[in-house]
Amino acid sequence: MPTHQEPALRTTGLRKAFGEHVAVDDIDLTVPAGSFYGLVGPNGAGKTTTLAMAVGLLRPDAGSAEIFGVDVWRDTVRAKGLIGVLPDGNAMPERLTGREVLTYLGLLRGLQPDVVAERTEELLQILELDSAERTLVIEYSTGMRKKIGLAVALLHAPRLLVLDEPFEAVDPVSAATIRTILRRFAANGGSVIISSHVMALVEQLCDHVGVISDGRVVAAGPLADVRGSGTLEDAFIDLVGARAGGTEGLAWLTS
Amino acid sequence: MAHLVTPGPAALAQHMVRMRLALMRNSLRGDNASNLYTGVSLGLILAFGTIAVAVLWPAYLPITLAVWLSGWIFGPIFIGGGNEALRPEYFSMLPATPGRIAMALLAGAFAGPAPVVNLVALLSLPVYGWRFGPAGVLIGLVAAVATLVTMVMVSRVIVALIGLFVRSRATAAAVGILTGTAIGLCSNGWALLVALGGSDTAVWSEVLVRALPSGWGVAAVEASWPLALAILAGNAGVIALLLAAWSALLSRRVVSAARGGVPPRRGTPRPFPATSGARVAAAKELRAWWRDLVRIQLLATAFAYAVVTPLLLVTIDVWVMFPFAGLIAIVMAAASSANLYGADGTALWLTLMTPGAERADVRGRQLAWFLIVGPAAVALSLAGTFVSGETWAWPWVLGLLPALLGGGAGVIVLLAVTSLVPGTDPHKRGGNPLSTGADETAETSLAWLVLVAVPATALPTAGAILLDPWAGIATGVLTGVLCAWGFGRIAYRRLESHGIELLNLMKHGPAPKADKPTTADLPIQHRIGVTVCYTIAWLPLFPQGLVPMVMKIIGIQDRSWFLALHLPPIWQWPTIIFMIALGLLMYGYAVLIPMRLSSSSSAATTR
Repeated sequence: MPTHQEPALRTTGLRKAFGEHVAVDDIDLTVPAGSFYGLVGPNGAGKTTTLAMAVGLLRPDAGSAEIFGVDVWRDTVRAKGLIGVLPDGNAMPERLTGREVLTYLGLLRGLQPDVVAERTEELLQILELDSAERTLVIEYSTGMRKKIGLAVALLHAPRLLVLDEPFEAVDPVSAATIRTILRRFAANGGSVIISSHVMALVEQLCDHVGVISDGRVVAAGPLADVRGSGTLEDAFIDLVGARAGGTEGLAWLTS
Repeated sequence: MAHLVTPGPAALAQHMVRMRLALMRNSLRGDNASNLYTGVSLGLILAFGTIAVAVLWPAYLPITLAVWLSGWIFGPIFIGGGNEALRPEYFSMLPATPGRIAMALLAGAFAGPAPVVNLVALLSLPVYGWRFGPAGVLIGLVAAVATLVTMVMVSRVIVALIGLFVRSRATAAAVGILTGTAIGLCSNGWALLVALGGSDTAVWSEVLVRALPSGWGVAAVEASWPLALAILAGNAGVIALLLAAWSALLSRRVVSAARGGVPPRRGTPRPFPATSGARVAAAKELRAWWRDLVRIQLLATAFAYAVVTPLLLVTIDVWVMFPFAGLIAIVMAAASSANLYGADGTALWLTLMTPGAERADVRGRQLAWFLIVGPAAVALSLAGTFVSGETWAWPWVLGLLPALLGGGAGVIVLLAVTSLVPGTDPHKRGGNPLSTGADETAETSLAWLVLVAVPATALPTAGAILLDPWAGIATGVLTGVLCAWGFGRIAYRRLESHGIELLNLMKHGPAPKADKPTTADLPIQHRIGVTVCYTIAWLPLFPQGLVPMVMKIIGIQDRSWFLALHLPPIWQWPTIIFMIALGLLMYGYAVLIPMRLSSSSSAATTR
């Protein structure tokens, strides 16, 4: 029986190769229950692949993932009941309006119709999607797509939220709203995992961080331990062994 | 700042050709490569066939070329917008006039296998010209090039027109009706020809096939010098007009923001029904049908074909097909619904992440399909049987109707999860509302598979009707329910166990496994054999096998082009049985050979 002492997410030896290219190489991550966890890494580091395997949307070549002690690949249905997911770039039921998407998914999950109606109304209002009552999701802007995706993840009040780049393309006002929602969720005992490129945001929101580079975990733990005395950005650049470029070449652009 | 110089027309066209070839090179992997090789081999066979027509039966050259033209016209409509490797949107920010970009895109359009194959076919014109001396050859050569450019341009303009004007349900349905009628004419248009003046080559048909753009070359070759030059000049003028029209259409397309084939709406949508499980999934699916122009067009195609085909036969006073219009509609509608999951793209993730939603989703899709196709098919069947006055048909119609409806509802979800063809996610599609971005060859083979599989589910019913007309109705209901229930069950079980693989097939394409063989790895003779079988197996099976069989059973005297019925009575049944067996054998070969290849290699790679 899962308890609150079990970590919200634990992956052990996750591995995934696409042909010759090893995208995720033996990743062990532990996300403590009740934590706000930031997963950071350069483009192509394997964040999205890791999260997809952790929630059960991509079958790993090796390794396992547990959500509150429930094995994602052995006890799939129970694990899925515990999490809300916002994957990056997936389609939605594109020919429904935002309200219809939430109503449909709520009813499909077996929530009572009045509960679905109430939650849908609140989510649409808070995320400022209620004005687009006649717009189908296929016609949404990138930011609106993120917001309806977030609403879908929140709808069934999960215990763990797994959000891939939740702030990408979202306007500053909506981003502030989303930050507040997520903080409230975490403050009330929920666990959150977000992936992001924006170090300042991760520093501001998260209490735990995992740094992934080339498909491996290069640092993980409480935020203070990972960043040390400097900023997270300095620690990140240090960890992934990169240096900020941009000072060389491109002479034709500035001449 | 450096001054930017836009490349000249020739340089721009050259870049476009290079880009197109690079795109083609990069996509030449696995099944794509095998489809291309087999497509080109088949095309070349047809092209050399056309040249043979010019040598042996020159009277039929104009009509043969008209068939090539119809391929350019209806191919893109049927397969959803044609192959737009170079999307005009890519170049919308180039600082060049629309006309110049259109010219360059046109050059890119020629850098593919289809125009090359078509050019080989058009070499039939100089070959035909040989009969008229060296001048005929020369005119034939010029005409071949002009005809090729015209055909490609006509095709492009039609794609552009569809992309721009199919923005409402009415226009989508109109395109569907046009396509359905065209397919009907292709398969049963001979009836109309017979009705209009016998099978002899009447003068008016001679003129007609020369008046079509495909026939101008033949007309020029046959004409006197001045007239030939006038025809060629006229052709050049038409090309210029088409090019102007195309560039105008393109520049309008890249600035029109509509995407994904969404029809316009008024008012707030009706509230979702407060239900759960399969019914709520069906409500979602019904909305998807009503709000997707691709689905509306395909449905219109299916029903138009089902209505036109019996009507064509009525022109020669054959009413036998009339009661079966509804049944044809069911089979055609099933064929156009076979890629349900592929059409929705990666939205599948939500079904997979909702505990227990797989069953509801599959059942909901079945229910929605049944509600959309069922009532219209029933109405069409009852009205057709009643109007035709063919009372013998009642048990057939009443028995086959539930059998096919249930079979269709079962087969489409089964194939949707077992033979999914990945396309582009709906929200990432380009400016052509009728294109799903899926591999057209694979989608077409999936449709063919449905055309064989759905009627096969009704075979027990047909057998029962032959034994006892009214037992057939019970059998039809029983097999219909069994197929819908059983195939649906297999489908959602499969979705539960393999849904993740389907999702990632759509997200990342087929897994690039070096040791997993594809049809492309078949020895060349098998590769060609498989394609040829897929393409022509229907000929012996349906028109030369099953149709004459039915006609013999029912006692229809019209022999038309059914080989068996032209033979002495003693040979008729053996010929029919031979044709059916040949068709089945060809389908069996085409399906089993690639399967054997993949199973033998997976056995070899299993550790």
